[in-house]
Amino acid sequence: MISEEEIRRIAKLSYLEIKDEEIDELREKFSSILEYVKKLQELDVSSIKETSNLSESENVFRKDIGEAKNPEELLKALSRRRDNYLEVKKILYNED
Amino acid sequence: MKTDLTKLTIKEAHEGLKKGEFTSVDLTRAFLEKIKEKNGEIKAFITVTEELALKQAKKADEMIKKGEGSVLTGIPCAIKDNILIKGIGCTAGSKFLENYIASYNATVIDKLEKLGAVFLGKTNMDEFAMGSSCERSAFFPTRNPHDLERVPGGSSGGSAAAVASDMCVYALGTDTGGSIRQPASFCGVDGLKPTYGAVSRYGIIAYASSLDQVGPLTKNVEDAGIVFEAIRGLDNMDSTSTDSKKKNDLEKLRIGVPKEYFAKGLDKEVEEAVKKAIETYKKLGAEIVEISLPMSEYALSCYYIIALAEASANLARFDGLRYGKFVEDEDGEIIDTYLKNRTSGFGKEVKKRIMIGTYTLSSGYYDAYYKRALKVRTLIKQDFEKAFEKVDVILGPTSPCLPFKIGEKSEDPLSMYLADIYTVSVNLAGLPGVSIPCGYSNGLPVGLQLIGAPFEEDKLLAIASLFEKNHDNR
Repeated sequence: MISEEEIRRIAKLSYLEIKDEEIDELREKFSSILEYVKKLQELDVSSIKETSNLSESENVFRKDIGEAKNPEELLKALSRRRDNYLEVKKILYNED
Repeated sequence: MKTDLTKLTIKEAHEGLKKGEFTSVDLTRAFLEKIKEKNGEIKAFITVTEELALKQAKKADEMIKKGEGSVLTGIPCAIKDNILIKGIGCTAGSKFLENYIASYNATVIDKLEKLGAVFLGKTNMDEFAMGSSCERSAFFPTRNPHDLERVPGGSSGGSAAAVASDMCVYALGTDTGGSIRQPASFCGVDGLKPTYGAVSRYGIIAYASSLDQVGPLTKNVEDAGIVFEAIRGLDNMDSTSTDSKKKNDLEKLRIGVPKEYFAKGLDKEVEEAVKKAIETYKKLGAEIVEISLPMSEYALSCYYIIALAEASANLARFDGLRYGKFVEDEDGEIIDTYLKNRTSGFGKEVKKRIMIGTYTLSSGYYDAYYKRALKVRTLIKQDFEKAFEKVDVILGPTSPCLPFKIGEKSEDPLSMYLADIYTVSVNLAGLPGVSIPCGYSNGLPVGLQLIGAPFEEDKLLAIASLFEKNHDNR
């Protein structure tokens, strides 16, 4: 079964907080799904190419010009707004 | 005699509007009444947009008067709540987006609006489309109109239930692993998942970007074709969209029946109804060809690895700063804000899926899980390519089981996942698939799934329509 340490590592990578009482259930559910998808290990895929995208089109580029259609609509949804900027907590700290 | 306007198909409603038998405002009012009467017990809608609908209906009536109308002008529809309509709330079934108001239209909404469509409201769904029963909506479960104790399927369960209970003429849904077809099957309506790329995904709240498609849920096959035609096509805002379309060149109908789709795990009642459907096609002169899709048993594993990996990346954008759930908190660093917003905004199933996706993409596991799944996806795609050399469509059940009771499968994730066993491979291979009603068992509908080759929706729908016109569903 997947370890508690591993669950905590994945939660951190996912930006999610896990309560202590949730750990056991998560370990169990994780393990049952990982066990199920293990089925793919039965196949020899050494010579098979990957399919990551089914699209038949090429990358599309638009002209490099600003086209914000209604910035006010987008700005209205900000959690904290100062003028036309998103205000967030301090993200840079001094070393000491 | 006064006909019940809410029972009409798109074509019938269009005829009535054109002849002036009723107006779009009459039609819209009839549906709003029906929603008031029925939504309390079925709970198909998260938001009812009465004001918007009546405004659009008036505009549609003017278009019709001026002779500018098309077949969808003035026809009231419902939209799954992961498709953005400007100025209207869009929750994706999640507390994270409970108060979010869309700031722009999805391309499919733009297209329908230009045609004079009427939007009655936004329909319930499993949170972020992660589920097969609508029980995982953060707000409330939707009920199956055929039996209120049972689920309508999911994740487009609200859309399917709204169509089945005449609370709209048609609805839009999205399908990542069966989310249009399985609820269509459970609610006894028609649902089309188009070829990957046929319909723009711009303005859709993404689950798994290489699998998601938008499509219609309707009261008959003809209507599905009408809505598909209206929403399909190249869109500059979605680089995977395309105008590709194949002509319907059907001469002699050959139907492939994969032996793997009738193996263990398939309910007897479903099997019987689908076998009757095969008999109907035989009587109509179709050649039934037994085929094999040997990779079928790997499809679900492959699907869950790819879908959850993509979901973990897509849902990383939900930090609560620019929109969505925001927990006021003066202390801590910015990472604590992310953690608080995400932890309180996402439901349990969503968090679990994000974590599994993160795990399969993380260093040390990437090759064993994600990369391997992409290779198996190639094999699944090749299975279908080989099959379509011999047949026009592939036929089977949409779901292995009848609609189950609310709460019956919610504790065991794997038994819930198995409800998607026949639908996920269609998304992995990017093919069009349709679910059409093929009978009832103890009053519960059974759906027949037809799978087509890429961009052959017209042929697929022609074959589905042939069945609809000749099969006795009782």
